[in-house]
Amino acid sequence: MDTRSCLLTPRFTIHRNNLEKLFYPRSVAVVGTNNIKGTVPYDILFNILKAEFRGILFPVSPGEKSICSVRAYKYVIDIDHPVDLAILVFPAQVCHLAMEQCGQKGIKAVVIISAGFKETGEKGWEREMQLREIAVKYDMSFIGPNCLGVINTDPAVNLNASFARRMPEEGSIGFLSQSGALCTAVLDYARAKHIGFSKFISFGNKADISEIDLLYYLKDDEKTKVILLYLEEVSDGQGLMQAAQDIIVDTGKPILILKSGRTEAGATAAASHTGSLAGSDEICNAAFRQAGIIRCGNIEEMFNIAIAFAYQPLPKSGRIAIVTNAGGPGVLTTDAAIMEGLELASFNEETTQLYKKYLPATANIKNPVDVIGDAKADRYNLAISGAICDPGVDGIFVILTPQSMTNIDAIANEIVQVTNGYNKPVYASFMGEADVRSGVDILQRNKIPHYILPESMCRSFARVYRFGSERHERNTKPKDFKDVNKEAARAVLLDSLNQGLTFLSEDKAVKVLGAYHLPVLQGKIATTPAQAMALAAEIGFPVAMKVLSDEIFHKSDIKGVVLNVTNVGEADKAFRAIIHQASALMPNARIRGVYITRMVNSGQEVILGIKRDPSFGAVIMFGLGGIFVELYRDVSFGVAPVNESLAESMIHGTKAYGLLNGARGTTKFDTTGIKTCIMRLSQLAVDLPQIKELDINPLIVLQEGSGCFVADAKIVLG
Amino acid sequence: MIMDKDEIKSRIKHVIGQVLEKEESDIADDANFVFDLGASSMQSLQLIAAFEEEFSIEMEQEKAMEVQTVAGAVDFVSTYLI
Repeated sequence: MDTRSCLLTPRFTIHRNNLEKLFYPRSVAVVGTNNIKGTVPYDILFNILKAEFRGILFPVSPGEKSICSVRAYKYVIDIDHPVDLAILVFPAQVCHLAMEQCGQKGIKAVVIISAGFKETGEKGWEREMQLREIAVKYDMSFIGPNCLGVINTDPAVNLNASFARRMPEEGSIGFLSQSGALCTAVLDYARAKHIGFSKFISFGNKADISEIDLLYYLKDDEKTKVILLYLEEVSDGQGLMQAAQDIIVDTGKPILILKSGRTEAGATAAASHTGSLAGSDEICNAAFRQAGIIRCGNIEEMFNIAIAFAYQPLPKSGRIAIVTNAGGPGVLTTDAAIMEGLELASFNEETTQLYKKYLPATANIKNPVDVIGDAKADRYNLAISGAICDPGVDGIFVILTPQSMTNIDAIANEIVQVTNGYNKPVYASFMGEADVRSGVDILQRNKIPHYILPESMCRSFARVYRFGSERHERNTKPKDFKDVNKEAARAVLLDSLNQGLTFLSEDKAVKVLGAYHLPVLQGKIATTPAQAMALAAEIGFPVAMKVLSDEIFHKSDIKGVVLNVTNVGEADKAFRAIIHQASALMPNARIRGVYITRMVNSGQEVILGIKRDPSFGAVIMFGLGGIFVELYRDVSFGVAPVNESLAESMIHGTKAYGLLNGARGTTKFDTTGIKTCIMRLSQLAVDLPQIKELDINPLIVLQEGSGCFVADAKIVLG
Repeated sequence: MIMDKDEIKSRIKHVIGQVLEKEESDIADDANFVFDLGASSMQSLQLIAAFEEEFSIEMEQEKAMEVQTVAGAVDFVSTYLI
């Protein structure tokens, strides 16, 4: 999808207008509710009442006169008052009737709780499409179907239009989930830790309003500082990336995603190396990283990071101070911090003198500061105060272990008091479980991020710090190479497609890549042994000789490739051997001759590739090439278009970078040349959708400043 | 057994009235059991059982569950009787 093009679609604009009514309705109708306690239709209505919704509530129930002592209407069109939001809890079979009436009533926002749609099969899918048609007809927007509902904790509205057991605390985290069941688990988890939410949305089958619409809503929502998203499928990867970039660049709000399906065998049968190496999860990872999205492995990690964003300012650097009452945990935290790329701050003279003067002689006054096991709240106060005022410290980790003389609650309160008013992040880890519980509760209620394990604390801090430091690097435009000949490349591809070919032979692949100034080795085609000898001599030895056929894809498998041919005699022999092998093993293939190119012997082999992902579009791959590619799987991915910094990070993101960068004094290779190839390949991938998969394997990289060469290329059409 | 549609409709409305506790006169010919008459999922099942008992027939459950309206029920039951 073109940049920001989703913002211009009519449905997107309609949703933008209607979402305000969805989250801040002045009146709500619960359509299809009943008087049977313990059922979804009843609980939805009851929850709205229980949460003390600030607007007017209208139960709509054909079978009841009143529900929960509130007058019920037979039909939504009978309500003699404007209605902003309708919650549909009818069975799936009749939702369209209710939806039609909502449209007639002029209701613009609807939440369809009911299940029995796409998730049940074709009939359900048809029902879902019917709802969407009605929504389009009346310019309505709906969430769901098959969802838990929506919650807005803003006291201005107090809306709990869901069948969650409880309304969560008010907070600054916006939570979006494709799974309704996960929502209830998350609410329970969050409640135990006093984690509050601004908006809480279960969007179910996303038949109309998608996660992208909701992300843009939360972008502008003043109550939301952090956005969490649980996804089971990415249906519009490009749209998601664009939304994330817009949010991060424009507002600085972080987006954390928990995406299930990590173990899916995404790399299905594919013709190319790139196809088999680029599983959907690897691509998802790369795309999220590229867009600045923080991908989390589980709910705990997600909330560990979310509370750090929600409760504390972003750290200015990775220089942290550790304050602890126990040596061992201090060392553990130090190890974890260093592993996460953080560094221990050095205290200035003032802080050092303060510690020297007021901490016991046995205390360690260097970082990590050990205030000793008998430390009470006053000693914690002093140590934290010193670190918080030290300009060389940009984050403080407070560690506590529950010893017999440790006044846990008092120390927790002291941490809250002493850090109040400073714009410096403070995280805590009260290690243990039972004894520290009340102290942890104090910290959590007062928005000090708490972690049972120091490792989780360090990891969360590092993720937050990296997000802050990388935020401004985003959104740089990809380079537009003006010297490419798109039409020439396109003509080759269309001609081959018209002939019914599914891949390009090497001479044609060279033409396509050459049109984008990728450093191909121009070859010549020999059709007789004599011609092969003459052309090989003309090109200059050593040469590479490969069978040329529109019907032979895996040339090496039929011994159709002879490398390092060093004289005319060998060229003659190689020609005859290639033709013999190909004719014997692929008797029906039409052989056009033998393709002869110069042989580049010195250099490091890497692989470049293109794959089309159904969700994210063209994906570029880079990695260690040659025979090692599938053995080591040392590859990185970038979603096209790839800009310069992404191309660079793709190279740096592999172990191969060590080899290329002259590890242990070895040769430095031309990584600038690779970077240019990646960017040119990215432009080619965007320009030429006829290419389904592409492998350049190997790209031979010469020493620094000497460039690189495409030694072999495969292009699959589709 | 041969029965005309008017009789079938009359007896169906009588059954619906009993199961859903409605006045027969309030039950329109095109009324939807759930949307217009407020039948719960349990009552929808009770309706099927009551139709079977009323007409001494055994209906195909899956197809019977798809019947949503009084008119639909008349047509469906008729297939077993006419």
